[in-house]
Amino acid sequence: MTTPALQVANVSKIVGHREILHDVSFDVPRGSLVTLIGPNGAGKSTLIKIILGLETTFTGSVTIAPDERIQYIPQLSSNDVHQLPLSVHEYLSIGSAPLFTGKPVITDFSQALEHVGVNARVLTQTYASLSGGERQRIAIARALLSKPTILVLDEPVAAVDYASRQGLYELIRHLQRDHQMTVLLVSHDVESVMPLSDRVLCLNITLHQDCHPVEIDTKDPFAKTVHHHC
Amino acid sequence: MELFTLTFVQYAFTGGIMMALLSGVLGPFVVQSRQAVASDMFAHVALAGIGAALLAGTSPWLGALPTLLLVSTLIWWLLERDTYSPDALAMFFLSGGLAIALAFVHVARDTSFAFENYLFGSILTLTRFDLMIMGTATAAVLLLIWNFWYPLIGATQTPSYNVPLRSLPRFIRLMYFLLLAIVVWIGIKTIGGLLIGALLVIPVLVVKEFSRSFLQVTLYSTAVSLIAVTGGLLLALYVDLPPSSLIIGVLLGLFTLSALTRSLSR
Repeated sequence: MTTPALQVANVSKIVGHREILHDVSFDVPRGSLVTLIGPNGAGKSTLIKIILGLETTFTGSVTIAPDERIQYIPQLSSNDVHQLPLSVHEYLSIGSAPLFTGKPVITDFSQALEHVGVNARVLTQTYASLSGGERQRIAIARALLSKPTILVLDEPVAAVDYASRQGLYELIRHLQRDHQMTVLLVSHDVESVMPLSDRVLCLNITLHQDCHPVEIDTKDPFAKTVHHHC
Repeated sequence: MELFTLTFVQYAFTGGIMMALLSGVLGPFVVQSRQAVASDMFAHVALAGIGAALLAGTSPWLGALPTLLLVSTLIWWLLERDTYSPDALAMFFLSGGLAIALAFVHVARDTSFAFENYLFGSILTLTRFDLMIMGTATAAVLLLIWNFWYPLIGATQTPSYNVPLRSLPRFIRLMYFLLLAIVVWIGIKTIGGLLIGALLVIPVLVVKEFSRSFLQVTLYSTAVSLIAVTGGLLLALYVDLPPSSLIIGVLLGLFTLSALTRSLSR
């Protein structure tokens, strides 16, 4: 049996008297696409922060296999506009500039953009002037510049119009299947992520049994679905 | 033009240009991090450092630097722990710094110290030694910003975990806080602790709508800072008003002009 790319074991977190996460354990096998669903306040964001090493006060353990490189693609919201204008070139440079040199190691951003289906002409444009779909694709391009093996995507279609969603899901599936990337996806879009996912985990403070595609009535509204199955 | 042959005028312009370069380059990071009040906070901490240096019998300005660097590290640590909100911390250090400064200065009142020189600046009294120290600090700050340009842009974005640098931004943010402390330290000697915030923030507000990238904001805001500082100093040679107030006056004029241009072009 191969070692999983990511192992979460008995993770719990309490803030004050409130339990945010309770004994959460799961593995993410290499090259798989695992989706985490759950209602608001279920602890998804906290769990992601723990996995990324941004949240250190918890019990349990998170193990990333030694040869794996994890990269996070945050949720873009409709007000995801920087305080000051940032060109797409600058946005990408931030992701590829290592500490202690400060200058991007990769300058061929055109190729990275092409990889995610965005025209290189946007490089000189202001990031905030682009559509939600383009911004999300550019965020993925930025993450790919550091050549990760595990991608953690937080609500990748949250700020994207309906027409662009399918294209984004296809891109994520393409990265997982054709580039053997391990993907951990956090999503509310149950209907769309079900066919993509190798495994769907239902989180509501603690991890409930896996939600298999057949168990989910995709015609149900999300909240009803999650409460029923998680 | 004869005035420019006077040493104190030459020193004032040299010091002012250094201050303008520093505030113009660091200002965009201050605005981006949404911590504009941090410069005021540091200025008040510097006043406490000046008071402590007075009590210790050392140079007030030079003595303020260790306090500033130490407290800016403490502020960084507190902000990273996320225990207190940034505005509550700002109020704590603003009031606390001023209270300690007042107490120290009161105890050491037998000296010929003039507190307002640091509150409102004393750019016309700069010495050759001051300029040498300021020149070294300016070169160091600009070199660090040049070298860590992209990590600094990333680390001062909010929320910071949106940047793919993982745990590194917190250390880059420490560097940013230390750089800001040094700029404020130079600011209290030139434009004054209560006015340095304006020189950091207003040039960015003047140019942000006319820029398409962070680099453009930085270049334009540096140009605005240079215009304001040199313009204000030139005015001070002919108008009997404090140079700091004239510098900020020019800045406010440029801000009004930019706001009018923006609203007319819409």
